[in-house]
Amino acid sequence: MNVTVRFLRPFARCLVPYTFHRTRSNSYSRVLQRYVSSKVPSLPCHNKDSTSPPEQLELDGWKTTMKSSIQENGVSVVSDKDGDSLAATRELIEMWRLLGKEVPEHITEEELKTLMECASKSAKKKYLRYLYGKETMKKAKQMKKEMKAAAREEAKRARSLEPSTGEEQRDFMFLRLWDRQTNIALGWKGVQAMQFGQPLVFDMAYDNYMKPIELQNTVSQLLESEGWNRRNVDPFHIYFCNLEVDGAYHRELVKRYGEKWDKLLLTATEKSPVDLFPKDSIIYLTADSPNVMTTFKHDKIYIIGSFVDKNTQTGTSLAKAKRQNLATECLPLDKYLQWDVGNKNLTLDQMIRILLCLKNTGNWEEALKFVPRRKHTGYLEVSEHSQEAFRKQKKTKTLNSFRKGSLNVRMSKR
Amino acid sequence: MTFYLSGFRSFPKLWKSNPYFELGPATSSASFFLGVHCVIGNQQRWFSVKTTPPNSKILNLLVTKARTLKKGNDSNKQASSGPHYFAAGAAKKRSHLSGNPQNQGHTLPVKSTVQLPTKPLNSKEWDKLKEDFKGKASFEDFVISQMTRSCSSVDVAKSLLAWVAAKNNGIVGYNLLVKYLYLCVFHKQTSEVIDVYEIMKAKYKSLESGGYTLLIRGLIHSDRWREALLLLEDIKKVMVPSKKNYGDCIQGALLHQDVNVAWSLYQELVGHNLIPLLETLKAFFDHGKDMNDDQYSNQLLDILLYLRNNQLYPGESFAHSIKTWFESIPGRQWKGQFTTIQKSGQCSSCGRAIESIHLSPEEYEFLKETIMRDVIDGGDQYKKTTPQELKRFERFVKSCPPFDIVIDGLNVAKMFPKGRESQNLLSVVSQLAQQNLQLLVLGRKHMLRPSSQWRKDEMEQVRKQAHCFFADNISEDDPFLLYATLNSGSHCKFITKDLLRDHKACLPDVQAQRLFFKWQQGHQLAITKGFLKSKLTFQHILSYDTVVQTTGDTWHIPYDEDLVPRASCEVPTKWLCLQRKTPAPC
Repeated sequence: MNVTVRFLRPFARCLVPYTFHRTRSNSYSRVLQRYVSSKVPSLPCHNKDSTSPPEQLELDGWKTTMKSSIQENGVSVVSDKDGDSLAATRELIEMWRLLGKEVPEHITEEELKTLMECASKSAKKKYLRYLYGKETMKKAKQMKKEMKAAAREEAKRARSLEPSTGEEQRDFMFLRLWDRQTNIALGWKGVQAMQFGQPLVFDMAYDNYMKPIELQNTVSQLLESEGWNRRNVDPFHIYFCNLEVDGAYHRELVKRYGEKWDKLLLTATEKSPVDLFPKDSIIYLTADSPNVMTTFKHDKIYIIGSFVDKNTQTGTSLAKAKRQNLATECLPLDKYLQWDVGNKNLTLDQMIRILLCLKNTGNWEEALKFVPRRKHTGYLEVSEHSQEAFRKQKKTKTLNSFRKGSLNVRMSKR
Repeated sequence: MTFYLSGFRSFPKLWKSNPYFELGPATSSASFFLGVHCVIGNQQRWFSVKTTPPNSKILNLLVTKARTLKKGNDSNKQASSGPHYFAAGAAKKRSHLSGNPQNQGHTLPVKSTVQLPTKPLNSKEWDKLKEDFKGKASFEDFVISQMTRSCSSVDVAKSLLAWVAAKNNGIVGYNLLVKYLYLCVFHKQTSEVIDVYEIMKAKYKSLESGGYTLLIRGLIHSDRWREALLLLEDIKKVMVPSKKNYGDCIQGALLHQDVNVAWSLYQELVGHNLIPLLETLKAFFDHGKDMNDDQYSNQLLDILLYLRNNQLYPGESFAHSIKTWFESIPGRQWKGQFTTIQKSGQCSSCGRAIESIHLSPEEYEFLKETIMRDVIDGGDQYKKTTPQELKRFERFVKSCPPFDIVIDGLNVAKMFPKGRESQNLLSVVSQLAQQNLQLLVLGRKHMLRPSSQWRKDEMEQVRKQAHCFFADNISEDDPFLLYATLNSGSHCKFITKDLLRDHKACLPDVQAQRLFFKWQQGHQLAITKGFLKSKLTFQHILSYDTVVQTTGDTWHIPYDEDLVPRASCEVPTKWLCLQRKTPAPC
């Protein structure tokens, strides 16, 4: 009995799309309709005949209705009287919302307190806009979820109408346990990397350079990086160095990873990378470095500063490397890419993907695919061949220049 | 190397025999040629830049001549006759000259799908208009936004609101109401403003800042202006009112002759660390004309001191107000004149010397310490340099005599893109060295490595003629420049074209930044010419400080002209000179 159920499920799943197509438009519109109707309170009633005046001099009429219609309304509002600034702020936000500004519809006490702690007016507005964005996103997600649920419901009903499907048994080689299998396999590879993998260090000593929001972004990027590393063919052995227990970083990481934190296949330590590894094999990666990375070296330990820098505190990581007297390198972005906009600091997950790609292939063009497309306009033509030619040309420039010049003249004459 | 032979070989001899030696009087008639003089007094060497024509009449003549010349061909790059480096509008001109035209403020074509009505419509016409409308936003919202943008008449907006109210059971949304209020305030329809005020008061318990601002602005002209103060109190519950809110309330109070309220509001405004709008200050002066009150005048003088302390400059009309106020004081016979200051630092109209640009010893010490602490060290010595290098530099500076000129080697070398970099540097250094100045050239170590741009023999010559300090390639050289100059004393100048804004930004507070700027104005030499064939000329340094100032019976007030845009790193060139004819009968 058990078995049949398991076999049935995949089949049912692949059936969904077909039925879904048929009913999608239908269900979408219905959900949309429901949504819209719940938002808009009521359509204005048309009593045009009664109010359309013969002359347009009747312009002040609305004022009296406004004033009078309010009286009963106003009393109830005034009744809840507390001169608390929190309440006043809440009202202010409500009025701003009426004005069509980007402020959240609902705001919790906690958020309100954070808002009050904002130092300046612009900080407050920024925070409100952030909350608004968050709320809009949440709402959109909610709506999508509802729509999907409705579609599923629809599909289920459609399936129940067609009785003679999915009854027959079929033969399979495997149970559908892909996720678990892959996780186990990745775990196995991670253990291998812990033993024999090349170390890659994330330097966590930047928490006092960052604001809470930046720290959160950093932790998100770290999570992402760890995920990319785990899925790679040949993962790095990741070190989180300078990670203070119960520091801001640690708390955030534990909060995000939950129980998984203690089972992660990486080394988290309070020690500095200098204590763990020989100094001359360490290379600190920073965009401010004057040295350009030419090749990925498999016997070096690369350090990435886990630092989201929105305040453009240039040279922080370079100063750190200088203090500890470490070698530094930066990615050869200018050499390979036609840089357009944005700064050269890449996110942590982009960095690790580039490094992983270099480690596996050593091909810069391939690796720099992970640089966001919006930041550059394209690849520069510096293939191995042309570079060689360029160097040669430079050497024999003095010899060639005359001959070339004369050739050009002749060409142009012709 | 040709100029060695032509112009400068005889130079040192000449200036020794003649302290007011004129450099090449034939080069250009319109430019005041700025010679670099070095006069050796009793053991003290000072360095200054002076204008040659001492006669003010000739100078005025030359000024007008230069102006007409400039008008004639705008593109000619007579930098030496142009405004000084920090003069209002200079930065814009520089960017213009370097072929970097500001992109014109392109106006987006406002695409309006609805033809805005010019006269009030009735509801049927509005209905029809709505049918024609296609767009995302709601029709009423869109139309009234367009109306506020093009400042339609109040009646048209009112007809729209009437139509909306009729459709909506007599309810008009807050956003429509605010925009309508804006139109009323714009057209100064006070009775309408009061009506809307009544409606808002009845309908909403509290408003938001935009609505309050408009109401305050509208109400101050009416008899109910005191309620604007209540609205201000309402704003204060949630946030600090803007300077505009305060300014409006103050103007309202002044309009209704309530001086005490105005002054207490002003104190409050300043107490919140807001910088008052110049209009607000102007209103005080405008009001002061009719007053004859000692306390009030003292408060006005306090405003002038406030302008001084905060390095604010009045606008043209404000300057006129100040002038009329001073002239209206009975019994004192102030006389005001709009004028300019001569390069020697004397007022063209009264001939008095303007305050010197030099810092007082305490200020100087303070600035030196702040630069050391915040710009060079900055909490992390490794950011701009290394501790070893800092020690090396300090030792080096101590071992050398005080310098007269500190040169930013890389900046000077890259100033003339046509020449080789080491050649540029050498030409500047040798021209200055011939005047027996103690030079310091700051650079980076890569300058010593021979390359196509940096020739070894030329660098050797530079090192012979000047003290040199080469920082690491990844260190910043500007902080060293600042420190070396400050350490050498007040006579020392530095050469760079850099405006040093990023270093100014490292300073912790506004006061230190102002001191730095003042010091920079007095000590920075910017090269305008000096490559190979031409003689080395600098932008002239201001010898006087551009700030509101008084000597008791005179006031000198720099002001901004309305038509000259001024960057924040520049100072105005126009002045208001006020002097008292007869001493006050105290």
